[in-house]
Amino acid sequence: MEKLLIEIFNLLTLAALLSFPFLNIKWRGYVTLGTISTQVIVALIVAFSVFTNGLAEYAYQGSWVTGEIPVRIDYLSAWFILLISFTFLTGAWYGFQYLKKYKDRTASLTLHAAALMMAYTSMIDICVVQNGFAMLIVWEIMAISSFITIIFEHEKKETLKAGINFLIQSHVSILFLTIAFMWVKVKTGSFDYEAITSFTRSQSALTSLGLFLFFFVGFAIKSGFVPFHTWLPLAHPVAPAHVSGIMSGVIIKIGIYGILRMLLLIKTDMTTVGYFIVTVSVITGIYGVMLAIVQHNFKTLLAYHSIENIGIIGIGIGLGCLGLGAGNNILAICGFGGALLHTLNHSLFKSLLFYCSGNIYQATHTMDIERLGGLIKKMPHTAYLFLLGALAICGLPPFNGFVSEFFIYSGLLQGITSAGHAIPTLFYLFAVIGLALIGGLALICFTKVFGIIFLGTPRDKTIEVKGPEKPLSIIPLYFSGLMILLIGVVPFLLAPYLVKTIQSYIPSLNFSGYLQLESLLENLTSIGWYSLGFIVLTAVLYGIRLLIVSGREDLEDNTWGCGYTGDASKMQYTASSFVRTYRKLAEPALLIRKEKQEATGLYPVTINQVTHPGDKLEKWLIDKPLRFVRKVLNSFAFLQNGKIQAYILYGIIFVGLAILLPTVVAKIDVLIHFLNQF
Amino acid sequence: MIDILLILLSISLLYMSISNRLASYLQILVLQGLILFGTTYLTLTEVNTLNLLLIMLETLVFKAIAVPWFMNYVIKKNKITREAEPYLPNFISLLIVTLIIVFAIILASFMNNEHLDKTFFVVAISTIFTGLYLIVSRKKIITHVIGYIVIENGVMVLSLAVGNEMPMLVNLGVMLDIFASVLILGIFFNKIGDVIKDPDVDLLSNLKDN
Amino acid sequence: MISLILILLASLFFMGIVVRTKSITSGRKGPGLLQPLKDVLRLLKKGSIYSKTTSFIFRIAPTTYLASVLMAILMIPHGNTPGIISFENDFVMFAYILSFGKFMTIVAALDTGSSFEGMGASREGLYSMLVEPAFFILMGSFALFTGHTSFQSIFSLLHFGSNISYMLGAMATFVFVLIAMVENSRMPFDDPETHLELTMVHEVMILDNSGFDLGLITYTTYLKFSMYGALIANLFIGRLPLQYSIPLFFVTQFLFAVAVGLIESFRARFRMGHNPQYIFILSSVAMLLFFGILLLTGKFI
Repeated sequence: MEKLLIEIFNLLTLAALLSFPFLNIKWRGYVTLGTISTQVIVALIVAFSVFTNGLAEYAYQGSWVTGEIPVRIDYLSAWFILLISFTFLTGAWYGFQYLKKYKDRTASLTLHAAALMMAYTSMIDICVVQNGFAMLIVWEIMAISSFITIIFEHEKKETLKAGINFLIQSHVSILFLTIAFMWVKVKTGSFDYEAITSFTRSQSALTSLGLFLFFFVGFAIKSGFVPFHTWLPLAHPVAPAHVSGIMSGVIIKIGIYGILRMLLLIKTDMTTVGYFIVTVSVITGIYGVMLAIVQHNFKTLLAYHSIENIGIIGIGIGLGCLGLGAGNNILAICGFGGALLHTLNHSLFKSLLFYCSGNIYQATHTMDIERLGGLIKKMPHTAYLFLLGALAICGLPPFNGFVSEFFIYSGLLQGITSAGHAIPTLFYLFAVIGLALIGGLALICFTKVFGIIFLGTPRDKTIEVKGPEKPLSIIPLYFSGLMILLIGVVPFLLAPYLVKTIQSYIPSLNFSGYLQLESLLENLTSIGWYSLGFIVLTAVLYGIRLLIVSGREDLEDNTWGCGYTGDASKMQYTASSFVRTYRKLAEPALLIRKEKQEATGLYPVTINQVTHPGDKLEKWLIDKPLRFVRKVLNSFAFLQNGKIQAYILYGIIFVGLAILLPTVVAKIDVLIHFLNQF
Repeated sequence: MIDILLILLSISLLYMSISNRLASYLQILVLQGLILFGTTYLTLTEVNTLNLLLIMLETLVFKAIAVPWFMNYVIKKNKITREAEPYLPNFISLLIVTLIIVFAIILASFMNNEHLDKTFFVVAISTIFTGLYLIVSRKKIITHVIGYIVIENGVMVLSLAVGNEMPMLVNLGVMLDIFASVLILGIFFNKIGDVIKDPDVDLLSNLKDN
Repeated sequence: MISLILILLASLFFMGIVVRTKSITSGRKGPGLLQPLKDVLRLLKKGSIYSKTTSFIFRIAPTTYLASVLMAILMIPHGNTPGIISFENDFVMFAYILSFGKFMTIVAALDTGSSFEGMGASREGLYSMLVEPAFFILMGSFALFTGHTSFQSIFSLLHFGSNISYMLGAMATFVFVLIAMVENSRMPFDDPETHLELTMVHEVMILDNSGFDLGLITYTTYLKFSMYGALIANLFIGRLPLQYSIPLFFVTQFLFAVAVGLIESFRARFRMGHNPQYIFILSSVAMLLFFGILLLTGKFI
């Protein structure tokens, strides 16, 4: 049955695309929305049927190039299908409202809608195919369709530049994946994923590790691990809000899917892999959030936070690998379980935050935090939903971010108490310190963002906030928010699916393993109930407070300004001032360009101080090498002098060399032979 | 008891990395001298008068009393300002010293020699490298000598790591080093103070050929 | 249950003892021990003034702050008796619930649109971020020492046998006391007495609160103090039966309050720009504590 459903899925896209030429723009929008919604329902049916009935497997007869193309939908694929579908659902409905502003750009809109459907279809297909060649084809389709959705506003120069950056880095990642798949194909003769397993079983651990590294680098560029993250902060601000949400929620997670899939397939020394992944992830998490704090463009800030959360997911994956390597079931369960749950949670709250930022952008037409303020009065729904997303992303109870981070903490602390030697204990402690620091830094960042954008008074009075919030721009957000709250308070709803997925990693879960799994899940359930209790406690206390102060009269006045009665909106804390102490501490890791005017003279004049945050890794890994390469290649610029005779001359030289060279080489051979006789 | 003293020594290193005033450095040197006295006394396996006297002389008299007093005298005489002027902010110094201690722990856990007492080794390595870091990261000449004395303390702990008792030769070597450095510094300081008014390392580079 | 009652009882007197100690060391007689409590009751009876710039968040933040501290207190055990909430790795939830309260107070401070409160909010965020690793390293060390990870099993299995464990206990007490001072923004990191621009961390965040809300926030500060006192007392109670552990608890709270009073009377405040390194040194000392426990448990020979 699943085969039929997946085929229906793909055919729906085809049908929608074929119907486009016959419809006008409004109907094209409805058709896209309808198609994606139907596809979501179909995908959810597939996922739930796999969870209840078990693995689904069938095969297509491929050509002689690809060999047979098996399609296996196992629990890992089902989990990711769930994730991707949910985000695309909210994304499509939100995007429909968001793009209504651009009604008159029919060509761009059509292309965008088509690309969105292609992206969704290709991503679901990536999750189910198990043939290397087919995977590469579908991956390429996904990369190109994501590129098209990103550059919606292509008349702006930065959009195009960021889009091309994204495309180039996507193709570098495809290069790595191609090399890895080719390696397996050459050595075993088959593109099937199972060939990877048998290949790595027969090779030494070092070769398998090398193969894994190729796959890892390819998927890491897509996910945004440091130092491959540089495309993320450029691509997110320029894309339309629903695409940013989908990108952060789903496109990055496809890289994580790839890493998790390869961990299932490649048999190598799991402990080394675990140490490697945890180190890269801790660096990614801390670097991402350290740079996020100093950004002024709230979409770039959210993009860096995605990098940080990918780091947290990576810590979970690495912990799972360490558990597999040490044979410690609890570590493996906590690690993989935490990573999988955090993947779902992150897609929920990050897409929510990006949709809120889309609302802010459409209301104020600026993405600069420093110019906003006091938006809670004009856009209350967006504000409270943003608060929900901010609390969830900092990993605070009672929301879902805390549940997945707690899962990972449980594993790490279990590692500390059970590791035999000092070095693993220290390593787990560093991961714990890393997670604690990430949480603290995220707190600084999100209090800054929420406080400066929504609270206080407007900092730039020229910005006019447009009208009431449209219902369709809020309802998908409420849907995400409800899921966030549900997972935070009743995580046991997801537990059966999560458990089945984790079990695919630990094939030999014996009885004591089951007991440990049960007690861990009980912990999570109790956290959910305590979180609910916390919400109830707050509500009860607030109710008591309202009762007590009901009779009293409350006065309203201006904020106390120490006797200053003028306009205090310029005296408020700005985002840069909020993070100034932090910026001075973290200066070595950041790249900040400051433009200052000094105050001269006795009387107050208007002075300015602007800081531009850059990315040091981007400067050293990409900008400088590119400049060097350009300089080297520029010295050959004389070759391109525009005269057609020169080009024909090059042709003649090449043909001459091609003919002469073998003859010359043969003659030199004879000479050497002759000389060797002495 | 010895482990307690060694951990106290490490805490004194951390405090040294964030101190601002030269007086704090001298106080920490006194503390380190006292801790070393305690450590060497407790590791003695045989108490004979000569050993005891030598140890007391080296640690108590030299490191805890004489050297800090002498440095104080030099500071007052040359009217050196009270602040230690670092090149890097103190927060980063603290991070670096913490990292030095952590690396020493990691390094020590890879070594499998049974003659080596690992706790002593960790503290010795971290003290030596912290002393080197102090020399590298501060501008004043007087902090060079303070860093040097911290390195001497580290060498003393290291010698305890490899042997159970303080070998005579190491004792004499350490005393000679301290003596020589402090005396030479004192002499030079008194002379330099007359020729160059600023006890700043940057100006020493004026002595280059070109 | 018993832990909750004890902590609530201790919070009634804690601040009074601190204020009395400070007065006695300055040569004055000082107010009565229940005076801070009477101040809170007086505030709870008053009406409030709200700023026009604030929104609903400003009104609900003090309640969430109190709720978060109460939830955290529910997790603290009393020696062998677990708190009302107790499960594996519950100290992680402890730290994060307290962070929730902090998030809401910081956001409420930014809600007023005042530059003073923004300053306090930014410092509070930064200092609590710097002190979090210290707490986690400390609890991680105890987990390593006892082999268990919930508050109740850690504290009931904690025992002091050898010399080095006494020293580690002393170090842990020292770190806990200073963590409490950082989190409550007392000396030597901040001076709650002065309200000048350069010193404020917590006191300035609540500048615009008045009436019932201010009473809630003040009482929550007292609760936080006695909560940390309870944690310190737990280091020493171990498995003692109730008739010894309850007096020991109150004695420890009393000594802690006196120590706070003495530190506030005799130490000067650190320069505000130097605070980050003094706060981070707690994490480094906790790291050394971890090393000590590695030695103690024999994992590092």
